[in-house]
Amino acid sequence: MADPIISIKSLLKIYPPSTVAVDGVDLVINSGQIHAVIGENGAGKSTLMKVIYGLTAKTDGEIYINNKKTHFSNPQEAVNAGIGMVHQEFMLIPNYTVYENVILGTEPVGRFNILKKEQSRKKVRQLIEEYNLNLQLDSIINNISVAAQQKVEILKLLYRDVNVLILDEPTAVLTPQEIEDLFMRLKKLRDEGRTIIFISHKLDEVLDLSDIITVMRKGKKITTLENKNLSKADLARAMIGRDVVFTVKKDKASPKDVVFSVSNLKYKNEQGIKLLDNISLEVRAGEIVGVAGIEGNGQYELVRSIIGLLTPDSGEIKINDKRIDKLNILDRRKEMAYVPQDRKNTGSAQELSLVDNSIMTHHRINKNLSGARDYILSRRGARDLTDKLINKFEVISESKSQPIKSLSGGNQQRLIVGREFMLSDNFILLDNPTRGLDVGSIEFIQLEIIKKRDQGAAVLLISADLDELFGLSDRLLVIHEGKIIADKDPTKTNKEEIGAYMLGAEAGDYR
Amino acid sequence: MKRQILTSAVGIITALLVGLIIMAVQGYPAFDSYYQLFNYSLFSKFSFFSTLAKTAPLILTGLSAAVAFGSNAVNLGQVGQFLIGGISVTAAGLYIDLPPVVMIPLLIFIALLSGALYSGIAAWLRLKFNMDEFITTLMLNFVAQYFTMYLISGPLLDKELFSPMTRPINKSGWLPDLGGLDSTIIISIILLIIIYFIWHHTKAGYEWKVMGSNEMFAKAGGANIDKNYLKIMLISGALAGMAGAMLVMGGVQHRFLKGIGANYGWDGVMIAVVADSSIIGTAFYSFFFAMIQTGAMGMELETSVPSEFVLILQSITVLFVVASRKSAHLLLNRINILLRMKNIKSGGGIKEDEFID
Repeated sequence: MADPIISIKSLLKIYPPSTVAVDGVDLVINSGQIHAVIGENGAGKSTLMKVIYGLTAKTDGEIYINNKKTHFSNPQEAVNAGIGMVHQEFMLIPNYTVYENVILGTEPVGRFNILKKEQSRKKVRQLIEEYNLNLQLDSIINNISVAAQQKVEILKLLYRDVNVLILDEPTAVLTPQEIEDLFMRLKKLRDEGRTIIFISHKLDEVLDLSDIITVMRKGKKITTLENKNLSKADLARAMIGRDVVFTVKKDKASPKDVVFSVSNLKYKNEQGIKLLDNISLEVRAGEIVGVAGIEGNGQYELVRSIIGLLTPDSGEIKINDKRIDKLNILDRRKEMAYVPQDRKNTGSAQELSLVDNSIMTHHRINKNLSGARDYILSRRGARDLTDKLINKFEVISESKSQPIKSLSGGNQQRLIVGREFMLSDNFILLDNPTRGLDVGSIEFIQLEIIKKRDQGAAVLLISADLDELFGLSDRLLVIHEGKIIADKDPTKTNKEEIGAYMLGAEAGDYR
Repeated sequence: MKRQILTSAVGIITALLVGLIIMAVQGYPAFDSYYQLFNYSLFSKFSFFSTLAKTAPLILTGLSAAVAFGSNAVNLGQVGQFLIGGISVTAAGLYIDLPPVVMIPLLIFIALLSGALYSGIAAWLRLKFNMDEFITTLMLNFVAQYFTMYLISGPLLDKELFSPMTRPINKSGWLPDLGGLDSTIIISIILLIIIYFIWHHTKAGYEWKVMGSNEMFAKAGGANIDKNYLKIMLISGALAGMAGAMLVMGGVQHRFLKGIGANYGWDGVMIAVVADSSIIGTAFYSFFFAMIQTGAMGMELETSVPSEFVLILQSITVLFVVASRKSAHLLLNRINILLRMKNIKSGGGIKEDEFID
């Protein structure tokens, strides 16, 4: 029953200068199955798919499609051959309608290039009904949810009648309910005889959905298994190469006085949309308060208001009963540590050395970094601080003067987190501190966060990762459309309940 | 640093070789021409001092551009700031006469101040109205050109002469001649040291460097972007203004004449680009370009290669240095990949920490 539709022989992909992303992988994808490719971030699974899909060129090796040696030099050729991919970042035009996005690039035209609108609309409508996608042809992409946008991406591929669908971490942006919905749809597609390649690093999902599971680690294929009697621990061991603890250990929190508080914070953007809608929250010394929510529900604006990059319309922000919302960024930074979500754009200057990246903010606060006069930067002080940071936070590096971009993502983030944690013991603001990191670095950073809490820091953790939120938080808030709509004890709730709140259900029982 | 020296050396040597071919193809004695080029710019006291005199203003316009570019401020107004610095010093030198000990520092102060004020206009426009300094500094160049032209053909015109220029400034404002060496180079070196110190040893300089690499990181880290930007623009303008003043206070003319220091402004921008905004690199390329410009006349005299040839030489130097900086990177990547493949195929495997995230 299972014919190989895609087979790959000793595929090699090296990113300049010398990063081996895919290291001699052999892989066979059979038609009519859901084939999961799992591995940690950096295992090479996305790169492997990009090579198959023609998005990036292979360095060496062979790809066979339907037993014929093939090489796609761009995604269009792949789509023509019946292979489509849904990326993590959607490729939709935000102010076009669903219908327009679906037909874009393959508009059916008649004489004089006139668009055959009725015919194509009918076809798109039929597909929507057939797969129960629940989309309106004329909704503007901007106005529909992320889950709906993902459906549009899938619809685009169905419209082009692809036989193989590659989905790159499709569940990362979805709530638990939406994930279930997606999985049902994928199984239906499989039952029709289509092939689905599902990339993920979430083990529960993979076990739930797939027929065949391929595990990758560090660019190599570790094993391919049939999804029968497999356990999460089996997969994790293959993925990581050792046994892993799924949640970091921590003692019960003993919260003390309120350190950080936000009251009645409001902000409207230029279009008059309420991005922060009367937000109030408190963080006590010695506790971690998590904020869950689907991205784009005000988390970004909340963080920017706290740090001083955005001026809210009204409301107060206090640290230790001192108002900080009128202070400049530097004066706020004297009171808090801040780990931003994008380490490349906000967390570091990629071209500059480890030293230059380690002393930011310290250079204005730490007396050891001043020379003979206050305006002089002590180079010895800067080097000492960097050494301390590298040792304490186990940053693997060759020299202090190498540019930070030459470090791996995990090591970059250790440096950034270390820099911030050495800054303040008072209030710590974390915005997705472990996003996109390897398991080792995630574990390390999460343990450091708990250590800080136990030393009495007030921690506000904003994250898109529910596992992280459940693992770390002592209290869990949910933000939806700029409002805090739930305040829960993570030990007394579950992902499904939080997921429902994230979608806006049962609003209004906070305080 | 090592890599910078290497790519510069590769770039310069390739440019010289290409220049050699160009001359040879046209039937000029190529080797002799190069010999004369260096002979008339380095090998005698007079020619070496001439090169230094040309280096002095180039260092300042080069630094002016390097400081700005290196901190993500696009000051392209060196030409205007240069002219304003020159004309301000001329006006002051015509109407004020004090003992040299007071006069010279006063004129230097006026030069720095007037250049800073002129670039300060562009900085103010950006901070107040968010106007891009890329445009405003360029446009202010024209304002400065026409304004100084008006002054030297009207209010400040030397009526005894037939072309637009002012009278020489009072002798008390002339920079001393040190046995044939123009003392302007000393001012340039002092300013070079000051800028180097600010850039590498002060907290402000650190913040500027970070702004040049990633402004958002500097901002989130607590650096006051607007204040830093203003300081950078003022310093950049002051340096260009001082360069303009040198041409009046130093040299032999001691007056502001039409077309004064025509190329210094843009040469400064070019030098900063070739030097990748490094302070030491700027000093080096200022000297290099001054050298070939100085030697050009001698070369024309001896081997009749047109002195315009050095313009070609300059251009290909810029091209090759910038190109070798980029291609060295690509080339190293390519070599790395080849080595890697060999290693993998021979079963050498890969080290743990070499994985992309």
